[in-house]
Amino acid sequence: MAVYETVIGLEIHVELDTKSKIFCSCSTKFGAEPNKNTCPVCIGLPGVMPVLNEEVVKLAVKAGSALNCKINLINKTDRKNYFYPDLPKAYQISQFDLPICSGGFIDLDIEDRARKIGITRIHIEEDAGKLIHLEDSEYTLIDYNRGGVPLIEIVTEPDMRSADEAVAFLKKLRAILIYSGISDCKMEQGSMRCDVNISVREYGSQELNTKVEIKNMNSLKEVHKAILKEENRQMQFYHYGEGHKVVQETRRWDASKGRTVTMRSKEDAHDYRYFPEPDLPPVIIASETAEAIKNTLPELPDAKRKRMIEKYRLTEQEVDILIEEKYVADFYEETVQLSNEPKEASNWIITEVLRVLKTEKEIPLTTRQLSDLILEIKKGTISRTAGKEVFEALITSEASVEKIIAAKGFQQISAKDEIEAIVDQVLSSNPQAIEDFASGKTQSFGFLMGQCMKASKGKGNPGVVKEILEQKLRR
Amino acid sequence: MKVTKEEVAYIAKLSNLMLTPEQAEKQAEEFSNILNHFDTINQENLTGIEMYSFEDEPLRLRKDEAIPFKNSDELYANTKSMQETAIKIPKVVE
Amino acid sequence: MDVSALSIKDIQLGLQQKKFSDVELVKGYLDRIRKYDKDIQSFITLCEETALEKAGEVDRRIANGEELGFMAGVPVALKDNMCTNGIKTTCASKMLSDFVPPYDAGIVEKLRQGDAVILGKLNMDEFAMGSSNENSAFFKTKNPWDLERVPGGSSGGSAAAASAGFAPITYGSDTGGSIRMPASFCGLVGVKPTYGTVSRYGLIAFGSSLDQIGTFGRRTEDAAYALEAIQGFDPKDSTSLQKGYATDYATSMKSGIKGLKIGIPREFFQEGLHPEVKDSVLKAVSLLERQGALVEEFSLPITDSGLSAYYIISSAEASSNLGRYDGVRYGYRTTEFSSYEELVIKSRTEGFGDEVKRRIMLGTYVLSSGYYEAYYKKAMLFRQKVKKLYQSAFEKYDTVISPTVPVLPFKLGEKTADPLAMYLADTYTVNVNIAGIPAISVPSGFSQTGLPIGIQLMGNYRSEETLFKFAYSLEQELALDLVPKIGEVK
Repeated sequence: MAVYETVIGLEIHVELDTKSKIFCSCSTKFGAEPNKNTCPVCIGLPGVMPVLNEEVVKLAVKAGSALNCKINLINKTDRKNYFYPDLPKAYQISQFDLPICSGGFIDLDIEDRARKIGITRIHIEEDAGKLIHLEDSEYTLIDYNRGGVPLIEIVTEPDMRSADEAVAFLKKLRAILIYSGISDCKMEQGSMRCDVNISVREYGSQELNTKVEIKNMNSLKEVHKAILKEENRQMQFYHYGEGHKVVQETRRWDASKGRTVTMRSKEDAHDYRYFPEPDLPPVIIASETAEAIKNTLPELPDAKRKRMIEKYRLTEQEVDILIEEKYVADFYEETVQLSNEPKEASNWIITEVLRVLKTEKEIPLTTRQLSDLILEIKKGTISRTAGKEVFEALITSEASVEKIIAAKGFQQISAKDEIEAIVDQVLSSNPQAIEDFASGKTQSFGFLMGQCMKASKGKGNPGVVKEILEQKLRR
Repeated sequence: MKVTKEEVAYIAKLSNLMLTPEQAEKQAEEFSNILNHFDTINQENLTGIEMYSFEDEPLRLRKDEAIPFKNSDELYANTKSMQETAIKIPKVVE
Repeated sequence: MDVSALSIKDIQLGLQQKKFSDVELVKGYLDRIRKYDKDIQSFITLCEETALEKAGEVDRRIANGEELGFMAGVPVALKDNMCTNGIKTTCASKMLSDFVPPYDAGIVEKLRQGDAVILGKLNMDEFAMGSSNENSAFFKTKNPWDLERVPGGSSGGSAAAASAGFAPITYGSDTGGSIRMPASFCGLVGVKPTYGTVSRYGLIAFGSSLDQIGTFGRRTEDAAYALEAIQGFDPKDSTSLQKGYATDYATSMKSGIKGLKIGIPREFFQEGLHPEVKDSVLKAVSLLERQGALVEEFSLPITDSGLSAYYIISSAEASSNLGRYDGVRYGYRTTEFSSYEELVIKSRTEGFGDEVKRRIMLGTYVLSSGYYEAYYKKAMLFRQKVKKLYQSAFEKYDTVISPTVPVLPFKLGEKTADPLAMYLADTYTVNVNIAGIPAISVPSGFSQTGLPIGIQLMGNYRSEETLFKFAYSLEQELALDLVPKIGEVK
């Protein structure tokens, strides 16, 4: 039986993080009332003209730099013509033969195998409006708020070989873009969307077989599922000698049914009639400008990972978790700076903070609060168990750690005389246990320890209690 | 250059225009005439010429500032079918 | 008051010296329009009320001694493809017959700031596609020199109105000759400035890389002053030129043309040129020579392929520019439809006229896969060649002179059956737009039957000043009577 491999290329649309749209001054804010953020330009009234937003050029150059691309200092815009109700001018201003960036790559590290995924090009373009499909209605509504929001489209080489690789690539890309402040990449809000091109071939072959495009995926989980399903669909055809049944087409992922379905075949493929946008002269970027933009790039995930492993002596797994979201990594580093406790900070963030983030949108406590908490535990003011309760309290409170500990009465009793009194009291009411210990039944030490902690209502510092109990028993 | 009725029909479809068969036929003939004249351009020696020249004034860029459109009350005054602030069209199946 | 032959200077002096008020002046023009425009049919929309209001404001401000703008009180009228906030802007199309823009075009903003009085909006070929004004969806404008003839196009309404004295100057747009051609047909000075001189923001696009707004006047001085009023950088138009604008053309144009060089392109005087036009143009050239200009013949082999390149590029851009008219956000909307697709296709099919549909399809064709290389790309390459050829011509000559139109003003209906025959009327004008250079059509005389003839002065980028010198010199030398006797006709 032949062994097959999957060949995957991605086209990723990313909304750029700008205040205003790409060709007009309307706001890009998400979630406004329909058509609130529109003007004659972005709804394509007769006579209007586009004026390019400088931040778009800046962010696209930044993306190109972050993804190791060549920046095309002369590039130009083109019109892509097609009719669709979300596209008011019946053409999208995009870039065709001279994109702003070309030829980059991302290094992936998948199960310790280094993989280089090529980036073919990055171009700038305008987003379309949004159609609102009402249930049980004979109408569709159009909201042009998203129309004209700046996008970059990142096109990869067909370099990925599995759903895992594609998802790993997307995660890495997302992290890089967020780190660089290029986009918030909120897939659920559509600010990062992805088209997947998939073909299947016999392992070892260098040929590219007929590919199928799955359009508009907006969740990593669904991308993964869709690729598995689609590669399997294609492999079945090849396996049964029906490779011709794989036709070049655009398919849609039906998440509820868990399968891909045909959207349009090659025959009704669009004839986009690209031509140079006559309303916009070529974009010419001074090489110093491009260099200056490159220099504004912050530390990217790969460099950060390396540094954090060395500096904080964390495991690779820990660092990978911490840097997946930039704001988490930032939170971590700030906490370490305040507490000087890299390992503890990592533990708290990975087990507690990330748990909370599954349901919360933002980290619900400050780095000051977390570092104080870590330090109080270290000092022995409170027990680790009490610490968890303090953490829960911090989620809903802005009070200082000190105040919460006081309010909850969590302070550990570490004072020797207080503990001694408790130990004495326990010992005097448990003569049998003392005898047992003396006769060599060491397990009675544990019993006495428990009694002491109980008597202290859990607040006795276990170390101190143990120390004093041992002293007394040995006497 | 002979343009066929079928080509004209395809072009009409791409242009979102409707043509009767008679119109398509007439249009095909007119197109053939016009395109015949356009063939003069095929006799030109155009080797060595680049499609774009980048010597003109470079593109000016706009500052990234959000400024709402002033006359927003009138922006959709020409729109014939709306539901509150959204534009209403017959159902589109994606 | 009789306004039929007033110049801008007459108006400015009159207002200044209080010979008449602006309201009287505007009423004079409105009366004239009411009286004669029913025959000429140049106005689509007449803004009587707002014009009189503005005139009243100008009078008040003059009385108060306030400072006024560059065009203070001067009545103007605009081709109906320039967006006017709150005033219907139709492009002479059924598609936009009820369209009221919510914004002002760049030029309209400038005119309002300059305190001009906007009298109304003028007829044109639908979406500026045509050379006779017969493609208007509403009515056909007549040539004031002969009501059976066309005023030329596409800015036929602007030309007819200026010629008939409905406004001292009017504004039009020129994509392949749409100002110069009707200027020639109506006995006017018609100015097509360097691409980027006048903001295109708010000019309803036809061929965006070719479109340029310009002016009509009976005198070079008026047309030049009208240009000065609207030229200049507009941040809303990315193709607008940032600096290097000449001012006070009125002074510089009077410095003469002694020693300036004229090139006569042989290929612009060949087959298809009406002999009377040829004679008139050559006579005009000899008059310029007599004033000290040096004349030389040379070869500029661009007319045939230039026309092809023009129709390919302009139609391609038009096919894209006109995609937005779908009956959804504005414009004509078909009454019966059962789906979105039907709504769009029927609205477009019913809303556009034949010529517009022909150009949309032609443009779609030359851009579609399989034909792009053969047509659009070749046209774009030829465009670069035209630019280079003009460039080398202007290394030698200060102006290149040709006829504006190869034929005399033709009769209504004469050329409507054959689109190609109509396209050929643009042979001498289109290359100017392809290169983006400025050109002016200036009256050079009349045919034996009394029809106006014009010559075209072409110049290098930003050489409007020089072209005005030639135009002014010729105008002085010829001293033609350019006021048609419209009252007496009929």
